[in-house]
Amino acid sequence: MAESLAHPLQSRAAALDSALARSIPWYIWFCVIAVLSGVFGAVWDISWHESIGRDTFWTPAHMLIYLCGVLAGLSCGYLILSITFQNNSPLRDSGVTMWGVRGPLGAFICCWGAAAMITSAPFDNWWHNAYGLDVKIISPPHVLLALGMMGIRFGTVMLVLAEMNRSVGAYRMRLERLFLFVFLFLIATTVGMSQEYTNRVFMHGSRFYLVIMLTAPIWIAAVSRASQSRWAATIMTGLYTAMHLGFCWILPLFPAHPKLGPVYQSVTHLVPPDFPVLVIVPAFVFDVLRRPASAMNKWAQSALLGAAFFLSFVAAQWPFANFLMSPASHNAIFVANNYPYFVPATSRWVMNMFVATESSNAQFLTWMTIALAVAVLMTRLGLAWGEWMRRIRR
Amino acid sequence: MTSLRARILKLALLISVAALPLSAHVGSPDVFFEGSAGPYHLFVTIRVPQVIPGVAEIEVRSESRDVRSIQIVPLRLTGQGSNLAPTPDLAKQSKDDPQFFTGNLWLMESGALQVRIMADGAKGQGEISVPVPSFAQRVLPMEKPLEWTLLFLTIFLAVGIISIVGAGAREAKLDPGKPLPQANKRHAQIIMIATAIAVIGALFLGRSWWGLEDSDYQRDVDHYKPPAAETKLENGNRLIIRASGLDTTWNGRIDLSKLIPDHEHLMHLFLIGIPGMDRMWHLHPNPTPDGAFAENLPNMPAGRYQLYADIVDRRGFPWTLVGEADLPQISNGVPLSGDDSSWSGSPLASAAGNQTVAPLADGGRIVWNVPPGPLQSNVAMDFKFTVQDQSGKPAQDVQTYMGMAGHAEFVRSDFTVFAHVHPAGSVSMAALDLAQAGLPGAISSPQDSNLQGMAMSMPMPNSSASIPPEVSFPYGFPQPGDYRIFVQIKRAGRIQTAVFDAHVQ
Repeated sequence: MAESLAHPLQSRAAALDSALARSIPWYIWFCVIAVLSGVFGAVWDISWHESIGRDTFWTPAHMLIYLCGVLAGLSCGYLILSITFQNNSPLRDSGVTMWGVRGPLGAFICCWGAAAMITSAPFDNWWHNAYGLDVKIISPPHVLLALGMMGIRFGTVMLVLAEMNRSVGAYRMRLERLFLFVFLFLIATTVGMSQEYTNRVFMHGSRFYLVIMLTAPIWIAAVSRASQSRWAATIMTGLYTAMHLGFCWILPLFPAHPKLGPVYQSVTHLVPPDFPVLVIVPAFVFDVLRRPASAMNKWAQSALLGAAFFLSFVAAQWPFANFLMSPASHNAIFVANNYPYFVPATSRWVMNMFVATESSNAQFLTWMTIALAVAVLMTRLGLAWGEWMRRIRR
Repeated sequence: MTSLRARILKLALLISVAALPLSAHVGSPDVFFEGSAGPYHLFVTIRVPQVIPGVAEIEVRSESRDVRSIQIVPLRLTGQGSNLAPTPDLAKQSKDDPQFFTGNLWLMESGALQVRIMADGAKGQGEISVPVPSFAQRVLPMEKPLEWTLLFLTIFLAVGIISIVGAGAREAKLDPGKPLPQANKRHAQIIMIATAIAVIGALFLGRSWWGLEDSDYQRDVDHYKPPAAETKLENGNRLIIRASGLDTTWNGRIDLSKLIPDHEHLMHLFLIGIPGMDRMWHLHPNPTPDGAFAENLPNMPAGRYQLYADIVDRRGFPWTLVGEADLPQISNGVPLSGDDSSWSGSPLASAAGNQTVAPLADGGRIVWNVPPGPLQSNVAMDFKFTVQDQSGKPAQDVQTYMGMAGHAEFVRSDFTVFAHVHPAGSVSMAALDLAQAGLPGAISSPQDSNLQGMAMSMPMPNSSASIPPEVSFPYGFPQPGDYRIFVQIKRAGRIQTAVFDAHVQ
């Protein structure tokens, strides 16, 4: 009896030892560091432009963004070349072939991302010369840069996924955690890129909800499908919210003063990003409902989960927007009183006044209905994509 | 027939040439200024950027050797943004010429801005603000090598993403080491075709977006181009001037009913004979109730005239309405009065050298103290003139003309450059007033700075008092060519004009 009990315990202990002994490959860590570097660089750079304004090629924020492309491009480029030219490489069988070279699919995507980032540099430089230094986040060269960074983030997710889907036991669980962590940067990219449309002044307009439905549910659905975790969406959006709050609370600790004019706001510290949108609420609702809904067909699931996502998000964000507009949110926790130096005092943002993005109630209802439909459609796309990710092996 | 023709000529709508390919303030966007920052007399040149936001180059020369440091900072001229200043930049002092300082400033917005200059030296600190009209002048075209490079990289990225998607569809779901089924290849080909269509669609959308951004920017450039002056002659001598072709959807457009006076007048109108500039009138039309300006013209010969009308909007942004007018003979004109003046003489000579002495109508003359060597474009200069009486001695009866020692108009032979310059420089006096009013603890009346050679804190002399016979105008020719310089002063209550022709390399 003692032996029979001892065997499973020994077996589990051995499995644990084995899992711990098996380390996550170096190229995954390099790419994760690259992703983090790009995220910190981008957030810092946006804050820099909102607080100080003037920059050079060599600002620390820019260095972190370049490091993202360099680290991911070089490490994945080296990985692909080493697999291609070493016949005995253990990764040779778990690679895909493209243009005569071989490597993990994620490595090719990372290289593409690095190339897109490199391409955006001369394009952006010319853009500044032709149209002036842009103060907008969304410009063609910036979108190309974001696509490049997105490529590196997506490639990293694919590298982790392939390794995770080929693994079992505790090692897989470690990769699951890493997967949920790196996945949050995908939603951070799309929601972050659309921040010009998600300012709190728009939170009582249909466009805000349409933008969030275009940028969030696909990731929620995909991660919940690709991961074995019961609370994948909640964990992923929880990590996203925590990271975003970290930026909100840490950046203002650093002093800064505008170096460009005209100055419309007195800025004494790095301006933080706005308080994160409450995607964690619909993500939790999504996780609660997706198990009971799993017996339905995919479109019915999408309709239920997408509608639940939309309605729970509206229910949470709409009243929260009132709070963000109130003096009660003007503090270090909710950071609603931090404005870039270039925002005039007559701006609706500073005056805490909502901006209507539609001209009538009928138009509002029409666009909210469209947003609901988009939520369903993006959920369906996310489920399909998550299903595909579950089966990734290379 | 003759009568009909005359009526047509007299009543005809005299339309200006719209959309001249000129930048605002007519081909001369850089700012030249001379004034005192407390105890220090400074000469300032601001070379505005071609695109906004862009970098302006600032050059400051101190008249005295006791300035230790110069700080520069941009602000809006009025309203929001005129009170909070960014961290000032320290201008770099030349090692070879310690009285010369240079710096760069980002101008982040179009519109009426100011550059505040803070001087520190042996006599303590002094401050002055220079108004700067900030506007984008053009869109930079893409050079061919960069165009080809970006095209190659775009194709590389497009083919790359199609290939990656194909590789993923073909092999990504296969267990390691498992052979590639034929069906996967066919599946991958279909996926790649679909991806290629999506990529082409995305590139098309991206190009369209780029085109929209370009159009938006070009519209901003167009907004700040000199507005076309639409003219109409009524009652045989009454010239009506309107701004035409304005974008009514643009908030910043000029409203002729909301201007601020610029050295005593809402509009300074210059009519210059085409093509040789052999006649010139400097007039001051008054506003009409319907948002236009009107001037009862003096007697004038029939001919074609270039028209420049200087105005300043209420934000302090200077505009010049530009046009051409075919005028009939005006024989029922109103005699010149007040600050109005005229000149006629020989046409502009395409001179190899520069004319340095010009006669005045009263027998006196003005001597241009031209620096040695040929005149160069894009070089800031102090155009110094001395008024002499009939005997060739420095005139003792020079008076202020519209509050200043003199006025000068620099006009290029093809009329693509026009600058109305004062002893304080090329800045609008109205904008200068606004700029000085914003200085903390305004140190002096801004009008004082208009009087070159006088301390800013000195009281402004009344118009009948004599002032020194020397007058200077800080300015720089924006491009090579032949120029005519009209120098206008007042002697013994009479406005007089001297004309100099200059060849600029």
